[in-house]
Amino acid sequence: MATTILECAGLKKYFGGVKALDGVSFNLAKGEVHALVGENGAGKSTLIKTLSGAFAWDEGTVSLKGKPYSPTDPREAKDKGLQVVHQEFNLLEHLSVAENICIEAMPRRAFGFLDRAEMARRARAALDAIGLTDVDVSTRVETLGIAHRQLIEIARALQSKSDILILDEPTATLTDREKERLFAIVESIQEQGVTVVFVTHHLDEVFRICNRVTVFRNGKTIITENIAESSPERVVQHMIGASLDSSVDESRNHPTFGELALRVENLVHVQNPHGEGVSFELRYGETLGIAGLVGAGRTEILRSLFGVNEIVSGDIQLDGKSVRFRDPSESIAAGIGFVTEDRKDEGLVIDMSIAANVSLASMKKVNRAGFMDFSAEQRNTQQRAGQLKLKYGHFNDAASSLSGGNQQKVVLAKWLESGPKILLLDEPTRGVDVGAKAEIYSIIRSLAVEQGMAILVVSSETPELMTLCDRIAVLANHRITGILDRPDFSESAILQYAYGQDPNARQQA
Amino acid sequence: MTATTKTSHKYSAKSILESFGIGIALLLLIVFFSVTTEHFLSSNNITNILSQVTINLILAIGMTFVILIGGIDLSVGSVMAFAAVVAGKAISMEGFGPAELITVAIIAGLAAGFVCGLLNGVISAYWALPSFIVTLGMLNIARGAALHITDARTIYSFPYAFEEFGSLLFYGIPVVFLVALALVFIAWVVLTRTVFGRILYAIGNNEEAVRLAGHRVFRYKVAAYTICGLTAGIAAIVYMARLNISSPIAGIGFELNAIAGVIIGGTSLSGGRGSIIGTLLGVFIIGVLANGLILLGLSDFMRQMITGVVIIVAVILDHYRAKYAS
Amino acid sequence: MKIQHTIKYIALGVALGFGTAQADDKPVVGLIMKSLANEFFQNMLEGAEAHAEERGDYELKAVGMQNETDFESQINAVENFITQGVDAIVVAPADSRAMVRPLKKAAAAGITVINFDVALDADAKKQQDFELAFVGPDNRGGAKMAGDALAKALGEGGKVVIVEGNPGADNATERRLGFEDSIAEYKLELLDSRTAHWETEEANSVFSTMLTAHPEIQGVMAANDSMAVGVVKALEAAGRDDILVVGFDNINAVGPMIADGRMLATVDQFGTAMAANAIDQALEVVAGGAPLEGWVKTPIELVTQ
Repeated sequence: MATTILECAGLKKYFGGVKALDGVSFNLAKGEVHALVGENGAGKSTLIKTLSGAFAWDEGTVSLKGKPYSPTDPREAKDKGLQVVHQEFNLLEHLSVAENICIEAMPRRAFGFLDRAEMARRARAALDAIGLTDVDVSTRVETLGIAHRQLIEIARALQSKSDILILDEPTATLTDREKERLFAIVESIQEQGVTVVFVTHHLDEVFRICNRVTVFRNGKTIITENIAESSPERVVQHMIGASLDSSVDESRNHPTFGELALRVENLVHVQNPHGEGVSFELRYGETLGIAGLVGAGRTEILRSLFGVNEIVSGDIQLDGKSVRFRDPSESIAAGIGFVTEDRKDEGLVIDMSIAANVSLASMKKVNRAGFMDFSAEQRNTQQRAGQLKLKYGHFNDAASSLSGGNQQKVVLAKWLESGPKILLLDEPTRGVDVGAKAEIYSIIRSLAVEQGMAILVVSSETPELMTLCDRIAVLANHRITGILDRPDFSESAILQYAYGQDPNARQQA
Repeated sequence: MTATTKTSHKYSAKSILESFGIGIALLLLIVFFSVTTEHFLSSNNITNILSQVTINLILAIGMTFVILIGGIDLSVGSVMAFAAVVAGKAISMEGFGPAELITVAIIAGLAAGFVCGLLNGVISAYWALPSFIVTLGMLNIARGAALHITDARTIYSFPYAFEEFGSLLFYGIPVVFLVALALVFIAWVVLTRTVFGRILYAIGNNEEAVRLAGHRVFRYKVAAYTICGLTAGIAAIVYMARLNISSPIAGIGFELNAIAGVIIGGTSLSGGRGSIIGTLLGVFIIGVLANGLILLGLSDFMRQMITGVVIIVAVILDHYRAKYAS
Repeated sequence: MKIQHTIKYIALGVALGFGTAQADDKPVVGLIMKSLANEFFQNMLEGAEAHAEERGDYELKAVGMQNETDFESQINAVENFITQGVDAIVVAPADSRAMVRPLKKAAAAGITVINFDVALDADAKKQQDFELAFVGPDNRGGAKMAGDALAKALGEGGKVVIVEGNPGADNATERRLGFEDSIAEYKLELLDSRTAHWETEEANSVFSTMLTAHPEIQGVMAANDSMAVGVVKALEAAGRDDILVVGFDNINAVGPMIADGRMLATVDQFGTAMAANAIDQALEVVAGGAPLEGWVKTPIELVTQ
């Protein structure tokens, strides 16, 4: 094996009490293509941000080319030869390809005038270096497709002398042909002696172009393997870990549910690229989870059921009757509540009072001939606060004065006030501390079991779904790849479905 | 939960301080001018100030509704002129008694303002256009229409009772100011005591959350602009009653004074935060400043500069209020 | 009538934009005015149109502006008229300096140029070596007529205030100077002088405050009648019938006020006839008459009860 260029040992990074990195150790060899894989939140993004100088780590050491390395800002990381192409593009759409490539160091002539000829020459050279000879450097970026933009980012990153190039989810938005082109470019970069770090969710790509793979789980590096000696199944096994599979509560294996609440058939919404859509059923008293990787189309299902996202085709039956909501006011009237993913942008009117937030989706209950019934509002808020064990100062305090967990309880209270029969939950415990998490779980369970609510919950945390749900539907790229009943719950099965693998086919592996 | 309790006290104390702050600024101005000028506190001058702020106050009430939902209405000055000439045409019809003419004129003026506001609201809300641009268009449309209707000529000679109303005093207080004060009270009730007002504030804070909570945001936005147009119509009637003319070039630049009053009064330009009481105080700060600086004998140009400084200081204070709040 | 009016303007605008001159052997006169939102210029335009119809021996092309300070569109109008090859340009400049250069260009192109209403700036003309006569009223002289009427009524030592027009506007400056001439000549006492931007409501507010500051005011000189109306309303509100008001322009609304004594006097500069007069002068020159020189003063008249 070639010489080691970068070595990480025992990296740790805390955000408040959360361990984002909890012991990351691995090395990169000169000229290799090295994959970083792991579930959402396993620590890959945090690692990239620390290595590229976006923020510092708390413990551990990194050495680059044998010298200690701790960049204080992204510029220093670049100067030392480490370049990152981020998932979100940083291109200026209205400028030309040449301007974008040279943006960090515009060539200048005397008196600070821009040297356009030199700029075009440098850009041309950068594009040619990665074989992108068919793109004119004077083209404006906004006229190019996603794939070209990605490649231009890579060209920009590579024009200054780089030793390490980190590609964060580079294939997420590419078509198969575009991917092939990217892979060819990665190979040619590799031949020039550059180390490429490839962060991805797609194991087939890992096994296609990478030399080694490092697996992350819960902020730790689990193992680094040579691709030649590994298999996708082994990698998934490492990502999941074996011990967690036993945490399923056996007592809930044979529950009884009520009437059919919701039947969804071939639902296709505007963001869905496939024609067949998704189909599932939900009964009163039942909690159905929707698992899947980020971008698999989970939130979009909830939003289209609720009448926010436009539905292209398919049938939704509520209590046996076909419905199609065009606006949240209609779905709320029909008895649906929607706890959105983003508290600050969609869930709360954060600068308004707790009471105002609690009554926002059920103004009828505090409406006396157009005037506010403030005492009714206080009573209702008090009642919900008791039910949800809300910790607060005063109901007239702004929602922003609360902790994350209590803010989430206010969102829940708002929807419970509207008296829903069906509750849609999107990441119900994101940014919530452990104690409040447990409380929210028990609230959700009691809504289903004691009040017979039909609950549909989307979460990126597999253990959360396994705790809350009676069934879990797994989504991969806008398709349901599997629906698991409670006895069949396992992190490995869910993860394999999420990666588009069939868990039943690997029993003997 | 002591931590939350603490922030809560800070929060409520702060919101009281906000209105207090403007009130104290106004009080300081009044004290300053009382000490430095001879006539400031005379009953005549107080009557003057009250009638001088009336039109701006009425326009600023409607403007408060629009700014609270995060919009702006640049057309109110022109819409006022348009409503005034529509009412002026109506009141100059022949063959009717004064009572009928006055009634018809008031209805026509209010309707003209109402329609302009409705158009502002529907167009900006339906196509999600910046209200800045839509109302800038309306500014030109209404002004052009006012000039077109009148051939740029001033309309004058109204029924005696109507002309009289504009200068009526009630214990030294202009009756038109009392009308404006009644509108302030109504607006205060609507904004703080009704479901409609609650939703308006919420839209200014987080439109998406309000929409997802099942409220038809479109209707509320249209309503806010319509209220603003309607107050421009009311201002037009008051203008006619006070000055006994309808001029198609009335109210040029009045929108900026109204916006300044609202902003000085502590309503945030980004919406969601502010109060009608603040607007009342903000309008008075502008009015007292204009009056007091003339009494002080300051030149017109100094007066303009000082007014500009006050507006900028108010916006800087708003910036810190917003930062403090988050 | 109004609709026809509008259509005519749109048509004219289009014609100007494309620079198409009509084939006609009648001399063509281009009339450039200030803001048609101003009653004064509106009257002037109608006077000119009536005049063109009455004479019938020339073709009138008239353009106005968006507002008082939009001299850009006046410059464009001059250039369009040059392109179209009109015989004469009759212009009321929005800016007494900015218009010198384009008008010099027009004169150099052989077009008869007549400057009316507001005179081009003498220094600017000298600097650009451009001689041009001025046909128009004496704003300063007119204001002095009004001021003199007030001064005679008050007697020496009378206490007055001035309500000015837009600061920086030429006619506002001239009228203020005219008022000041009267004040000096009749030894009046000037207590305060402030702008109300030609506006009724602002004049009302500003004057009522001036009255508080100076209750001893005996006379008011307003630089236009719109502001005089605001002053009269402020006096009514204050219950003062002992203060005399003079204005300028003789708009319709002040007729009844002069009749019943609420205003002492205003000045009529016969705006309706002003453009027509200037056009007559232009046509004479076009027909081979002697070029105009210096200041051809147009009539002004004091209007009293």
